[in-house]
Amino acid sequence: MRSTLRLAIFAVAAVVIGVLLLAEQLFPGTALGEFAAVLDAGYAASALRLSVPIAFAALGGIFAERSGVINIGLEGLLIVSAFTGVAVAHWLTGDGTAAVGPGIVLLLMIAVLLAISGALLGLLGDTFEEMAVRGGGGVLATAVLAGLTVALAGPTLAATWLAFYAAVLVSTAFALLFAVVTIEYRADQVIAGLAVWLIALGVAPFASNVIWGAVNSPGVDTLGTWTVPVLSELPAVGPVLFDAEPIVYFLLLATPLSWYVLAHTSFGYWVRASGENPKALDTAGVDVRRVRYAAVLLSGVFSGIGGAGLSLGRVGSFVGSGTTMIDGRGWIGITAMLFGNYNPFGAFGASLLFASLDALQFRLQQLNYAVPDSLMQTIPYVTVIVVLALVGRTRTPDAAGEHYDSDED
Amino acid sequence: MNTDRIPDPLAGLMGRLVDASAGERLVVSVAALFTAILVGGVVTLVAGVFATCSNPSLGIFCYNPFAVYRYLFLAPLYDPFVFQETLKNSALLLFTGLAVAVSFRAGLFNIGTQGQLVLGALAAALVAVWVGRAVPSGPIGGVLIAGVAMLAGAVVGGIYAAIPGALKAYADANEVITTIMLNFIASDVAFFLVSAYFQKPGSGSVETRDVPASAMFGPELALAMAILLVLAVTYILWGTAFGYDLRTAGIQPDAADYGGVDAKRMIVTSMTLSGAIGGLGGAVWVLMSVGRWVNGVPALGFDGITVSVLASNNPLGVLFAGPLFGSMQAGSLSIDFQLGVPRQLVGVIRGLVILLVAMPEFFRTLGVRWGMGGGR
Amino acid sequence: MSAPAVDLRQITKQFPGVLANDEVDLTVERGSVHALLGENGAGKTTLMNVLYGLYKPTSGTVVVDGQERTFDSPRDAIDAGIGMIHQHFMLVEPMTVTQNVVLGNEPRKWGGLAVDRERARQDVAILAERYGFDVDPTATVEDLSVGEQQRIEILKALYRGADTLILDEPTAVLTPQEVGELFDVFDELTDAGKTIIFISHKLSEVTTAADEVTVLRDGKDVGTVDADSVTGTELAEMMVGREVLFETDKAPVQPGEITLAARNLVVDDDRGVRAVDGIDLRIAEGEVFGIAGVDGNGQSELVDALTGMRTPASGRVYLRDEEVTDAPRRKRIDDGMAYIPEDRQSRGLVMPYDLTENGLLGSQRDTEFATSGRIRWDDAEAHAEAIVEEYDVRPADTEATAHSLSGGNQQKFIVGREFARDPDAVVAAHPTRGVDVGSVEFIHDRLLDLRSEGAAVLLVSSKLDEVRSLSDRLGVMHDGELVEVVDPEKVTEEELGLLMAGEKPPNVPQMPRRIRGGEE
Repeated sequence: MRSTLRLAIFAVAAVVIGVLLLAEQLFPGTALGEFAAVLDAGYAASALRLSVPIAFAALGGIFAERSGVINIGLEGLLIVSAFTGVAVAHWLTGDGTAAVGPGIVLLLMIAVLLAISGALLGLLGDTFEEMAVRGGGGVLATAVLAGLTVALAGPTLAATWLAFYAAVLVSTAFALLFAVVTIEYRADQVIAGLAVWLIALGVAPFASNVIWGAVNSPGVDTLGTWTVPVLSELPAVGPVLFDAEPIVYFLLLATPLSWYVLAHTSFGYWVRASGENPKALDTAGVDVRRVRYAAVLLSGVFSGIGGAGLSLGRVGSFVGSGTTMIDGRGWIGITAMLFGNYNPFGAFGASLLFASLDALQFRLQQLNYAVPDSLMQTIPYVTVIVVLALVGRTRTPDAAGEHYDSDED
Repeated sequence: MNTDRIPDPLAGLMGRLVDASAGERLVVSVAALFTAILVGGVVTLVAGVFATCSNPSLGIFCYNPFAVYRYLFLAPLYDPFVFQETLKNSALLLFTGLAVAVSFRAGLFNIGTQGQLVLGALAAALVAVWVGRAVPSGPIGGVLIAGVAMLAGAVVGGIYAAIPGALKAYADANEVITTIMLNFIASDVAFFLVSAYFQKPGSGSVETRDVPASAMFGPELALAMAILLVLAVTYILWGTAFGYDLRTAGIQPDAADYGGVDAKRMIVTSMTLSGAIGGLGGAVWVLMSVGRWVNGVPALGFDGITVSVLASNNPLGVLFAGPLFGSMQAGSLSIDFQLGVPRQLVGVIRGLVILLVAMPEFFRTLGVRWGMGGGR
Repeated sequence: MSAPAVDLRQITKQFPGVLANDEVDLTVERGSVHALLGENGAGKTTLMNVLYGLYKPTSGTVVVDGQERTFDSPRDAIDAGIGMIHQHFMLVEPMTVTQNVVLGNEPRKWGGLAVDRERARQDVAILAERYGFDVDPTATVEDLSVGEQQRIEILKALYRGADTLILDEPTAVLTPQEVGELFDVFDELTDAGKTIIFISHKLSEVTTAADEVTVLRDGKDVGTVDADSVTGTELAEMMVGREVLFETDKAPVQPGEITLAARNLVVDDDRGVRAVDGIDLRIAEGEVFGIAGVDGNGQSELVDALTGMRTPASGRVYLRDEEVTDAPRRKRIDDGMAYIPEDRQSRGLVMPYDLTENGLLGSQRDTEFATSGRIRWDDAEAHAEAIVEEYDVRPADTEATAHSLSGGNQQKFIVGREFARDPDAVVAAHPTRGVDVGSVEFIHDRLLDLRSEGAAVLLVSSKLDEVRSLSDRLGVMHDGELVEVVDPEKVTEEELGLLMAGEKPPNVPQMPRRIRGGEE
């Protein structure tokens, strides 16, 4: 019955959007028509763009929770990566020149640190050779990626991209911390997730203050947009789907990819088994611990893309005041994940739904409607609550939230 | 690394004298605090490398962690202003810490104390102004105004917490997310209400009119009230059947059902109680600290979570953890003004404390490795 | 003669405070069915966990197919051809049969990027056919019956190349007919050259299915005998070490008024699936009504509805004259209903509480311990002490946490607490599960005492001996229905088995479903 309700909500939303999109033509001059005029291609593009941090957080959350680890700290990971991206970008380009070299060095250092941590935790393999190969491979891949970026983009843009990669790695490092705390030391996952969020909430403005003397950063260059030559000329669809920021393309790729991995690869099987019946996976001879680590680290990678994508994508700075520029998107992402029933496509759709409400609220503010700004801002949050109330009882993975001990001695 | 996985059926024999788990939790809390402070010190040191310094204290290290901690913990002892601030913060943190403790004991992650506090504060400020108009000035009038205002704060806070409580009880909506969302909503709604309807005329910031001076009181009274409340809650939790039900529902909901607890009612009731205490804290903030509702309420709700977690969600523990954080918060302003160390450092320590308290296994492992403890 | 499939030599396994295996020797011939017999806690599962690589032995050697082996994890054991089917299945319910069977060894395509689902399905189908298993590779595991799920577990082991299969209490969840099917599977497998070791505490099954039996007692091996030539009594004595009597003195009691009744009760389970499909019950004062049946046929949901833990979809529940269908749990407790739950650790006790606090569970508002909501801890402690003493709960310390007690002592405390209510009605679900034999007798005696004092008792148990010896009338549940009510003294085990499987054997010694003693 729950899934019918979900489908109903999606269907109603689709119909409403359809009517609104056509309303401008159908009822010109009326209040409805004017309201609907708000919903143009620009609106659609902005909704898609706004959904990126939410959706990436949701995708990350899906992997983690389906493997049995409830990662509530996604908001914190988004904050950390948003900040790191801008901080590194500013460091590399702040004084006008674009210093790519230090950026690559920094990137490799973080990669090496992550590889060493992974080896020490016994995640990279059982023999020294395995660890060296996998750890080294990871660092090498990072180096190749950095090199390619520098080769293909101009110095300023390359520096910004390097900052982006660094942010993703730092977010992954935080996720690793969370993983160690919950998997190794069996901390309560909800409390540990809250802790990660609170730490990030403190660390980002703290570091911002330390570096720039204010909780908000100065501006940096953004990652720009990618325009696909012919397709971006298409009416309606073109400007939305083919003339967008790179992270939008990443999202459009990551969603089906995540679905595929979960449904059709061994790793996906293992993630699902780890969250439903980890003992089954253990006795099948697969290391549950490593699977969970991988899933949590993946949530760090995704959140990293989402967070840095926001600060380096269009905004071009880090706002650390109040609830930071992330402003609850991690929490909304978790809700999108629940609403989408732990399915990547469902989560993407739900994220889009929330983001379109956010975009609507912006548009309406711009049009100076009678409803005051501060109340409008509550729309996304109220929606989340309504959604949770309607869809509360989702089928969570059976072993989600439980520690797993393989009975070795 | 694995210590004791196999339950020891003879452990019961050894657990006679001391409640081993409570003692252990105390040790973990202290160790967590100590470790968080240590890590915070390292963070401060490292941050000092990146900061642009006016007067570097230790070479490339711009910030001196020892100076920082001296301010954070000792300033209350020698600086009268900081001492006053510490008293005020401690009182407020006792309220919010207690609010969180009640809900966590009931098995509910009420992260919404901040929102409950904000709205409770607003209610108290508005009611105080209204009642103040009808009542003559003077001490008796002041007591009346304060009393009614605090009641209003508690009621509003309680209702605002009952909402996510009911959503959880009847729609199974995850209370972590709903309470966090409600925090956002509370700030926005309060901002709107004040700026649109209750704005103090002629003021540049978003704030209400001042409450009558007779209704305000000092931190000593607030502390006394808070302590009494802590004792009352302790009695409720361990001395009454309601408290027994609440605790059991928080530990093993199935056993609580078995024992005759109405699970849904308990969720709503415990959330309401938690929210009422939080709202009361908001009222005290208005009547003790600022004298009105002003936009930009300090993050007392989140600090309350830290206090409660550090105190193992035990009301009596809150009596110690509250002042501890109260002094740290008071000191955070000093470290900013005097040392140039951003006050958000305390926020980082806050998160670290929660993280470390959440993983007793970590300290247990350390303890075994260093030869302490029973080596079970 | 080829080397034995498995040869465990002088295996010792020490846990803190418990010597689970004490220099145990076990030799299993290739192609045979070997049973490991012993009471609960004898060390059978521990021994097999050593063989399967879940535990490392404190001392002793493991020899498989003539080669000495050290297993660091189950993966090593699997590589050596050992497969284990646990009592609680290790299946991922939302995934399909195929996915479960190949988990961990998925056939890949496209250079390892994807699972080759076609090949996986084929492999599973071929394997199933070779051993005569009737399974649908595309079915979702949670839709299968327990017997079918068990066969998937066996398939899993075979898929990984097991030559020796260990089954831990495989018949615990099966009807007598399904047990027969399982033993046929054993034959099929041994014909194909596989070796089977199965753990059991049921004598009859062991003598039927096994070629050889090794008996464990208190961690030591008592000996290995040929299953065909040994008698049940001999085995029982090896198991227990003393003569065991299973008699209970049951004085006849004149049943009185109807105390506990259900009318057309329909109850759904957690998933919304119909679990109890229209049951009528009438239990009178001074009567024990037993319910036999394989776990999972609605007994838990029936108990939940009667005790107020779950609201029925339709139908009514009565306690004496009052309808209590929708009444909250508290009302039923106050009105004199005692409930010994099936799950003692999540429902019957609060593990971190000490015994004094646990003694209050359900009675926290009783005037005996509380004055208008305020608890009198002295009285509560005295109450707990009385229970501990009367039921010989060890350690005899009311400040001990429930967690620190062994399962048997936990159960005794719960029974003591519930019986101390002086109840009018008792709902007991598997009340002697995990309890040592001496205490089982004590609990049975107390239960019969309550019966003589006029309580109405509903006894749900999977121990057929228990439910037959204690009941005045015996009902059999299958698929949510009370298929028959029989005379426990006259019905045969075979008839019971058929009834439990949903069959209708002719001429079972019936008893009236409603007995005289008034209307609803």
